[in-house]
Amino acid sequence: MILVKELKKEYKGSSVVNVSELSIPRGESFGLVGNNGAGKTTLFRMILDLIKPTSGEVTINGNNVQLNDEWKKQVGSFLDENFLISYLTPDEYFQFVGKLHGYSQEDMKNFYSKFEELFNGELIGKNKRIGDLSKGNLKKAGIAAAFIGNPEVIILDEPFENLDPTSQIRLKDLLKKEQQERHLTFLISSHDLNHVTDLCNRIVILEKGQVIKDLKGENTLAELEEYFKA
Amino acid sequence: MILAFLSHTWKKFSRSVSFGKEVVTSIFLGFFALMMVIYSLALGFALDHIITTTLNISDSVTFLNGILFYYFGFEFMMRYFLQNLPVLDVQPYLHLPIKKSSIAHYLLGKSIIHVLNLLPLLLFTPFAFMVVAGKESTGAAWSWIGSIWLLSLSMHYIVILFKKQLDDSVWGFLLLISLFSLLGASDYFGWFKVSELSAPVFTFIIEHPAGIFIPLLLLALLYLINFRFFRQSMYIEDLAAQKESTTVTTHFDFLNRFGAIGEWINVEIKLILRNKRPRNILFLSGFFLFYGLIFYTNKTYTEGMPGFLLFVGVFVTGIFMLNYGQFLFSWQGGHFDFIITQPISMREYIQSKYWLLCSVGLICFMLSIPYVYFGWKILLIHTVAALFNLGVNTFVILNIAMWEPKKIDLDKGAAFNYEGVGAAQWLMSLPVILVPYVIYTPFSLMGYPNAGLVAIGVIGLFGIALHKQLIDLTTKRLIQKKYDMAARFRKE
Repeated sequence: MILVKELKKEYKGSSVVNVSELSIPRGESFGLVGNNGAGKTTLFRMILDLIKPTSGEVTINGNNVQLNDEWKKQVGSFLDENFLISYLTPDEYFQFVGKLHGYSQEDMKNFYSKFEELFNGELIGKNKRIGDLSKGNLKKAGIAAAFIGNPEVIILDEPFENLDPTSQIRLKDLLKKEQQERHLTFLISSHDLNHVTDLCNRIVILEKGQVIKDLKGENTLAELEEYFKA
Repeated sequence: MILAFLSHTWKKFSRSVSFGKEVVTSIFLGFFALMMVIYSLALGFALDHIITTTLNISDSVTFLNGILFYYFGFEFMMRYFLQNLPVLDVQPYLHLPIKKSSIAHYLLGKSIIHVLNLLPLLLFTPFAFMVVAGKESTGAAWSWIGSIWLLSLSMHYIVILFKKQLDDSVWGFLLLISLFSLLGASDYFGWFKVSELSAPVFTFIIEHPAGIFIPLLLLALLYLINFRFFRQSMYIEDLAAQKESTTVTTHFDFLNRFGAIGEWINVEIKLILRNKRPRNILFLSGFFLFYGLIFYTNKTYTEGMPGFLLFVGVFVTGIFMLNYGQFLFSWQGGHFDFIITQPISMREYIQSKYWLLCSVGLICFMLSIPYVYFGWKILLIHTVAALFNLGVNTFVILNIAMWEPKKIDLDKGAAFNYEGVGAAQWLMSLPVILVPYVIYTPFSLMGYPNAGLVAIGVIGLFGIALHKQLIDLTTKRLIQKKYDMAARFRKE
């Protein structure tokens, strides 16, 4: 599904990301952890073709992300506020993204009913612009928009940050359900080890831009705690 | 406390991202300000001469007193556009043990430091001491200039109240326009003459220098009203309420036929209509449609300088394109990452920009057609200018706008707002305005000015015919530049 090869990013000679190989198969739930400055967001940005790598490449379904736009239909993403259009209302924003993915009114309705719970009656049908939303609601809007178009892959940066506990649980359930039902692949980064271990069957630790550990299976939480204790 | 505020204000200014980096902009602005001061002062010194000799009016004092109210009307308009509401980011101070009244005093006091408050002094001080003092007494001159200044400062506080109440809404603007048109009309039709009201007021002040207390009281009263208003509204909600949140639905369904491109144009239309700065540009462009009236009504230009009209033509038909286009990508700096990750190809994105610029250019051209009243020649000039704008200038703008763009805060007003302005913005107007002349001048020198105009139109037509290829080239450039652009936008 996603293949990262010899990916390097350097700023003024110092390396920020240096990943020799990372392959994420379809249906995997992939967690990225690491302390501040480890290069998590930079890695995600390179996967999404937002930053040009110094060398190496990222392919999604065999398409080099730098060379065409095809993969964009298959990838939903939300990294930060730069993904939202502050002067639109959430409704308009969703409609807009929906249209880009060829959504019909029926599809839109399905989308709304899927996120009704998460939105908790706050985002839809209000005449409030995205720029005026609280941080938590901003996050919800961005995350929900990433699901539009039923993409095969969803990439989220710190999805649990700023969310209230109920929404955190709902979001986790949603991701799990999508993964079971339609083999959704998702990549998330988080500082919350409990959430990551609960949600992801594969966890990669990034340090100074390099993959330090690639953990799978049981007992990942203990290993992670061991690593971060030092 | 005031000192602390002053130092914070200075730090905010000197530590802002753009400070110091924009050498070109700072130099230009400094130069511009100096020129304005010199011009105003020169006008002030020449005032008496202009009135007595050029206008041939013997009693210059009474005449000037008569037009002072018009001057204040003009000043009010200037202030409305150029004066910003005094804001210090108050929020970080609200929870600290600082009296709200001292914050309010500081805000109101600091707002006095403004070029426009210097203007009446520059314009009228020479007149006061050269003419009024000679005719009456030095005391009268002091009182006269003092009253004018105090009235001007009162105007300063009225504008703050006015803007705070209406917050740059279209209504405030329309209200002003209709008020001034009404006054102008009443003067014209003789129902009511502003000059007859204005002259006695200032004559009274010259005759009774103690009359200066009246404007002083007015100023004190207005300051007090402003102070109470500011003090009361020093809450986070009030401060935030300055942002408008009414969202008018503006969706052009017919654009849906153009698929993704239509959708993007729709979003960009919302961007323009819902945010202060691009909206101001839209209004301003509407005004500039009347720019031609200054020149086309004057025979010196229409008959003497046909070449100059070309400049007016390019300007009238392309003003929005130029003004909006200089930040073509910067407007969307806040969600550029979104654009890159959405299923829209870079070519479609460029196409949406191209068609937006073209449609607006076409609308401006059609709105300018009534100028045909001043002669067919003008329609010809506008047509070739519009063709050139659509065929060539669109691509010039698209490509130059990609050069080191900066993110723009959409909510801030447009007047004297130099955020996002870089070298590219200063350079952009050069090819857009100059290239038509480069084409025109050789023909004109050989004695065929009309052939020169046609040549401009033909080149424009070439650009339109080749738009697919030009869009391809522009797309290629965007694909190369998008990383750099996205990085710049993320940096703020």
